[in-house]
This record gives sequence, structure tokens and C-alpha cells, in this order.
Amino acid sequence: MTGGPVGIVANPASGKDIRRLVARASVFDNQEKAAIVARAFVGAIAAGATSFRYLPDRYGIVAQAIPDAGVDADVAPVDSPDTDSALDTIRAAAQFRDLGCAVVLTLGGDGTNRAVARGWRDAPLVAISTGTNNVFPRMIEGTVAGAAAGLVASGAIALAEVARPAKLVTVTVDGERDDLALVDAVLVDERFLGARAIWDASRLRVAVLTRAEPASVGVSAIGGLLRPLGERDPGGLALDFGSGGVLVDAPIAPGLYQTVPVRRVRPLAEGEPVVVEGPGVLALDGERERVLKQGQRAILSVVPDGPRVVDVRQTLHVAACRGLFRAAPEGRDGD
Amino acid sequence: MDVDRNVLLDLHRRMVRIRVFEEEAGKLMEAARVPGALHLYVGEEAVAAGVMANLTDDDQITSTHRGHGHLVAKGGDFKRMYAELFGRATGYNKGKGGSMHVCDMEIGMLGANGIVGAGPPIAIGAAFSDRYRGTSNVAVTFFGDGASNEGGVHEAANIAALWKLPGLFVCEYNGYGEFTPPARHQAIRDVADRAAGYGMPGVVVDGMDVIAVYEATREAVARARRGDGPTLLECKTYRFYDHVGIRGMGVSYRTDDEVLQWRKRDPVALLEAHLADAQILSSDDARAVHDEVRAEALAAVAFAESSPFPEPHELLEDVYDTSLPAPDEAPR
Amino acid sequence: MTTAEATTSRKLTYVAAIADGLRCALREDPLVFVAGEDIAGYGGVFGHTRGLLAEFGPTRVLDTPISEAGIIGLGVGAAATGCRPVIDIMFMDFMGECGDEILNQMAKMRYMFGGKARLPMTVTTMAGAGMNLAAQHSQSLEAWFCHIPGLKVVMPATPYDAKGLLLAAVRDDNPVVVVFNKRSLGMQGDVPEAAYAVELGRANIVRAGTNFTVVATGRMVHEALAAAMALAQDGLDLEVVDPRTLQPLDIETIVASVRKTHRALVVHEAVRFGGFGAEVAAQIQELAFDHLDAPVGRVGAPFAPVPFSPALEKLYVPNADRIAAEVRRVVGLQV
Repeated sequence: MTGGPVGIVANPASGKDIRRLVARASVFDNQEKAAIVARAFVGAIAAGATSFRYLPDRYGIVAQAIPDAGVDADVAPVDSPDTDSALDTIRAAAQFRDLGCAVVLTLGGDGTNRAVARGWRDAPLVAISTGTNNVFPRMIEGTVAGAAAGLVASGAIALAEVARPAKLVTVTVDGERDDLALVDAVLVDERFLGARAIWDASRLRVAVLTRAEPASVGVSAIGGLLRPLGERDPGGLALDFGSGGVLVDAPIAPGLYQTVPVRRVRPLAEGEPVVVEGPGVLALDGERERVLKQGQRAILSVVPDGPRVVDVRQTLHVAACRGLFRAAPEGRDGD
Repeated sequence: MDVDRNVLLDLHRRMVRIRVFEEEAGKLMEAARVPGALHLYVGEEAVAAGVMANLTDDDQITSTHRGHGHLVAKGGDFKRMYAELFGRATGYNKGKGGSMHVCDMEIGMLGANGIVGAGPPIAIGAAFSDRYRGTSNVAVTFFGDGASNEGGVHEAANIAALWKLPGLFVCEYNGYGEFTPPARHQAIRDVADRAAGYGMPGVVVDGMDVIAVYEATREAVARARRGDGPTLLECKTYRFYDHVGIRGMGVSYRTDDEVLQWRKRDPVALLEAHLADAQILSSDDARAVHDEVRAEALAAVAFAESSPFPEPHELLEDVYDTSLPAPDEAPR
Repeated sequence: MTTAEATTSRKLTYVAAIADGLRCALREDPLVFVAGEDIAGYGGVFGHTRGLLAEFGPTRVLDTPISEAGIIGLGVGAAATGCRPVIDIMFMDFMGECGDEILNQMAKMRYMFGGKARLPMTVTTMAGAGMNLAAQHSQSLEAWFCHIPGLKVVMPATPYDAKGLLLAAVRDDNPVVVVFNKRSLGMQGDVPEAAYAVELGRANIVRAGTNFTVVATGRMVHEALAAAMALAQDGLDLEVVDPRTLQPLDIETIVASVRKTHRALVVHEAVRFGGFGAEVAAQIQELAFDHLDAPVGRVGAPFAPVPFSPALEKLYVPNADRIAAEVRRVVGLQV
């Protein structure tokens, strides 16, 4: 069985944006993130991981979790351009790939995982949610997430047994670099990136979703409440916003419902292009990311070959079935 | 979320006014034409401009030792500001306050403040007063990452949240408390992390992006005016110059490379690029704003420098608000 | 001398007179509010705000957190923007907690701003030893405040002055520190029902005399009066002057008295060294040197923190016996 190091990215910026003001999101403080990483270290080591590579951030989330977790494993940072932006994560993900990491543990929101995917498109991921509006990463206890990562990293469980590739939206912009989104790519009627988040549904124009989950918040929920589409269902969903269709009350941010006019909902086949045109701003996974100038076009398509997401519950289930956590026999040892 | 074209032009002008005022002030200090020490706001313009564009003259602010930018953005008059820096009788404070205390009560600018962290307790008083007097005003307090560790800031934040006062706590996280980075001041990195402990929303925004600051402030001010209480808005920004004066590079406590990295995100240039892209303001038009403001600044400097110093009798005036004899001046 | 506009008068305790003064202030100006620790629901730990909450409600009579810096700041900001706050600092010893707000903000704002700020603000507090409350709940720190340009300082000795000086302080457009004495709380005296002010900066000749001037502040006024009774048997006819306002000081009244009596003693409860009495003694000598038959004497507390033990505290706090002894020493009589 082959394994590799666990790559770790903990985003110090997640869980602090304007949605704490315009919606009812809560601050997710960095101390808690460090505590989660510490617990993940413990879980991963208990599951057999011995080697870790991490993105050093300015707050030192991972660095301070290392002594806290009592880690004496092989733990080392990767190089960071230290821009305090998504670029650091993108670069780190590419290095994780080149270093042969078996799995990447992320703490953050949709945006954090999107940045990882931009650096390593099919990265094997254990994603812990610390952001808001998150559809992609799950709220899960760090110990258990770490254990799942450790099982894959040690080679005890093969990635292919417990992970499936996530869909993503490829974003091709006229004359500029390509981009991607893991959950949704949305054209909004804005001119600037500003405070990044989107919280005014009246400005939505077109959305392309990899998943439309009624039990989520954000644009995915709008689609989900009209025509649910699971993360494992093929293809995607396109929403055209505006009057002439239906109205749906949807939680577009935590604790914030708005009535959204949706003119058309249509399923998208794998790879089917949706063309959007500026002026406007493309919001990717909930954040305004790319300005489209007047007449500038972007092509959005849902494809199936995104990050390979580890199913944590399934991983631990497999581990249990194989007795991977049974201690060495020493006298009386359960059944 | 949209920001109106006129607001964008207004944001630009406010930022340029701060930049030009400070660059000229810095030259005056270097040339020893003004007495004392100046703490310049260059690099942080997006914060003052983005916040102040959401306020009226009736809304109050408290400022910091780095306060010129706040007064300029609030609508301060260059002549009276420069005259104050020169210590002249025509200054905002009649020459009795100087750079660190410059104020304009008529437009709700309750003073720059020489004491780190002194603004928030005063601001909650203004916010209390705003509500007590039945106005819809809000009071905004600016403080730095260094000040965030002062006890009075915590006391003020607690009271503001407890009483849901119409206030806004703006943390200007500029990377240095005087000469020491926050990593050696506090165990946390984001001051906004403390907001939950106070019981108010905490938000981090890019303090180099005036539109981000504007958007966040607009929401926070609306929330305060609605009676929903205060917000802690942390703006990540950077002080291009030294704690005092205009030297920014070649200093012992930070690298030139760090300064250059931040300068790539110069908030004025960043907005001008956005405005040019959006065909709202061409680079020529932006330049014209700079030139116009610079001409105003130079004229104001000339006015200030040619203004009289305060008369000797001013020494004992304004200690109290009536003309009671000073205690040492009792008739013999 | 002061005369009340009042027609009816009744006996009130010192503490009830404070409450009566606050009640008048709240009635006569809607911009007045009273804020402090335990002053609303509980009515003040000394009972000096009892009944105010019921009459004026929680928007004007406010319990605050235990945050002296915060609440003095609250007063400064509210005063600078049009209110007329009364902020209560429970014990004068707690003034250290709000040192900056008083010293650098409240006192200086008007001058620093070139006269542009108006700070009609009152700070009330309770000083004085003799109740076995030890070193941090017993001090008399009035000299600190007298030393800061921009502040006014008053120390009421009687129920009448407690109400009248308090109302004068509230009506004044400057920050005034009102220093009450906690051992005087039960003292009875005539207090008119109507609102009246005792003019700030005007001393009170409490007892007219011919051959010795005692300048006494706060509760020491009564000790001085007791000493005067005792010394009358020795043929000494003491004139007792209560400055009432320490800043600005009515030095004319004091000097006029000394010119008449040719001898003076200054008495206060605070530590003698660097105390308010030193300033009075110095000014007497500057202004009436040729009229003095003896050096100006001073009685104050010894240079030690206030002790807890009743045995020690009795030795610490100045009293009529010590005043009488010092008078005898100044005039050259056997002690």
C-alpha cells in the first residue's frame, strides 16, 4: 500500500467576511482553527500518518497546533509566497502534489478548497468547514477528519476506496486566465469585487451549479429548492435570474432569506457550455472574484474531474471493518 | 451591494485629498517648517475614505494620533488643518492642539487623540448621546491594532454591545503598533476575533480596497442606525511611512520588501485602476483631481504659514469655559 | 454666605441630600443623565441614588458595567455632543482605573481643541477613611485633580453643600469632580426642598473667629469645629473656613481671614505631603506674609496607606484633638 504525507492548509481569513454583518454568520476565530488542526494531527497520527507538510500562514495556525498536539512526526512547511491571499494556498497545493502528498486536509470554506483545486485540480481532500455559506466542506470534528486523512496517508486505506471526484465548474474568460468553482459560478450585476461576498439576490443574473442542495445556504440553495441536484448526480444546473418565472424564498446567506426571482432552471449536461457576458462580476463559490468588462465573455461548464473528496464516515467505517484501530493484543482486549 | 458612480468619485476625491494633504504635511515636517511630530496616514486612505463616505456631518468620529486622514475625509478644511500643524491662531484649535489633537466639532470630528486607545470610550459616549437625544446619528471610533490591547477599548466595546449603541468600531490594522508588529502584541491575528467576546459582529475587510471598506461600512452604519447595535470592522491596511514622519524604508523593524509589496496595493492607485477599467474616471481625469487638490493644499500651506501665532493671552484662555481667573492668578 | 431660593427646608441626611440634588438635576434638565456602577437598580452602594430609577427610568438612570474608563469616556463623549452627564465613580480609590479619561480627555479636551469643546460633565465619587475599608477604599485623592488644569473640584462638608455644590457642578459647563465623604453620609442638616446651587469657587466661613484661621476641607470641617469648641476654653477664637471648592480656590476669603487672625492651619484628611494644604499654605504665605505671626501649620494623614485595623486607622485619620494640638503648637501654647 502506498501512502504519502498529509498536506495541511488552514485559512486564517475564513469565517470573517461581511456575512457576519449582512447575514447572521458567526466569526470563526483562528484559535479554534488551531485547536481543530491540533486535534486533526492527533487523529492522523493515531491512524498511522507520520509525515505532514503544511502551508505556513501569518497567524501560524498550523505552527502553533504542532506543539499543542505533541507532534514529533515529520512536520515541515512548504514554501509560501506569503501574499496573505489565495495565491499562497494555490502554490501550496501545487507543492503538495509535487511532494506526493497522499491527502490534503483543509480548514476553510468553499473558497479555500477552490484555491486548493486551482493549484491541484484533482487533489485528494479531507475538507473541514470553518467558513460561511459552505457547501463543499463539511462540518466535521477535527479528530475524525484527521483520522480519515491519516488512514489514507498511511496507505492503510486506498484513496480510490473512499474518495470520489467532485464536480467543478470550469471558467474560461476571454483573454484572461482560466478559473474554476467547486459549487457555483454566478454572474452578478456588479462592477467591483468590493467586500467579496454576495448578499443581495436582486443582483444575480446567471448561475451555474455543480450541485443544487436544498439543505444548504447560498446560490446552491436557490437551485436546490427548485430542482435538487446532488453532488454525485451527473451534470449541473443553470439558473437564469429575473422575472417571468418563479419566485423562491431561499437562504442566500446564513440566517438570511430572500425572495429570488428565477426565470429559468435548466439541467446542464457534462461539459455543456453556458456563455455569460459582461459587464458584471463573476462570483465563484460565493465570492466576487472576476470582473467581466463590457462585452467580455466567460464560458462556464460543469465537468466531473475535480478534487477527489474523501468520505470521512466511509473511511472510518472501512477502518472499523478492517480492525485498523484495534490495539495490539495485550491481555484482555475487548472481543 | 452596488456602489453608485458619484460615490466612487467621492471616494476617490476623499482619498486623494488625504494623500496630498499628508504628502505636503510630510514635506513640511522634513523641512522643519512645522514644529513637533506628525503621524502620517499615507497608505491607509481607503479606511478613512470608505468609512466617512457613509457618514453625515452630524455623525461623530473619534480619531487617533494618526488623525489627519480622518479629519480630511470627514470634510476638514485644509487651511485650518495646516494652520493647526503650524501652531497658528487660525488653526482649528487656535494652535493649542496641533497635529495630535486636531478636531472639528462642527462636523462631528471629536479630535485626533494623543493617547492610544482613548477614542473608543469617548465614541460610545457620543453614540449614547446620539440615541439619548433622539437623533439617528452614529458614532464611529478609529483605533489601531496596537490600541486594540488597551483596556479602555474593551470596556467601550462591552458597553456599546451591551447597550446596542449606534456605533462602529473601526480597527485600522496597519501592521505595527508604533514599531512593533501585532505578533508581539497579541496572541491573536485578527482583532475581529474578539468581536464575539464583546457580543457584536466582527468583520475583516481589505483595508486597501476602498470599495470593500465602503460596502462593509454601509452595512454596519445601516445596522447601527436601525438600532441593532455596534459592529467591529477590522480593516487590514498598511502604514507606508514610519510611525512618525515620512521615512518608510530602510528602517530596522520592517523590510523594504514588505513595504514594496504593500505599495503594490496602494489604495489610491488601486481605486484609480478600478475606475479606469470601469470607464468612470480616466487616468487623465484622476491626475487632474490630484493637481487640483495639490493646488488647494499649497494655497492652504501658504495661508497657514502666513497666519499669526496665538497671542500670549491665549495661554490661559480656554482652560475653562468662563473667564474665571486661573488659580495661580488670584488678585493680590 | 449662601442663601437658598428655597422657602421650605427640612432635615436631611448627607446621603439623602445627594440623592435630592441628583433628583433636582434630573428634573430641571432633560439632558442630564446619571450613570454608574450599581446606582440604578440597587440605588447606589451608599444609597445616594436611591429612588432615582423609579422616578426617571432606565434611560436616564443607568447601571453600568464595572468599567471606570469606559464610563468616564461615556460621559466625555456624551458631554461633548450635547448631554449633561453625571458619572458616579463608586470609590475615589477607583479613579486610577479611569486616569486617562479624566486626566487627558475630560480635563484637556476644551483647551486642546482651542475652546471648541464644551464638557458639562460631573463626576461624583466617595472619599474618606474611618470605616475600616483599608487602603483601596478609603483614600482622599482630591489633590490629584486640583493639579490638573481644566478640572474643577468640590468637597461638600454638609448636607446643604452636598446638594448645592452638586447642583452647581451639574449646571456648570466644565467638568467638575464632586468629592463626597462616606463617613458623613448619616449626618443630618437643613436642606431646602427647592433646587439651589452653592456657587463654585466661593468659600464658606463656617465659624467666625478672631485670632486663628483653620482652613478645613470635607469632613475635617466638623473636626475643626469641634477643635474650636475645645480651644475656646483656652481663649482661642478660631475662624473656620471651608473652601468648599478646591479648584478654583477662593483664596481671597482665606487670605482675608488670615489678615484678621494672623495665624493659620490647613487641615485635610488626605496625606499631608504634597497635599492640597501645601498649596493653601504656600498661597497664604505669598499673599499675606506680612500678616502672619507664625508659620502656617498643616494637619493631614501621615505618609502611609490607609490601614485596616481600627487601632491603626484611628491613629491615621486626623481629628479634633490633633487639630487642637496643632493649633496650640502654632500659637506656642503647651500641648
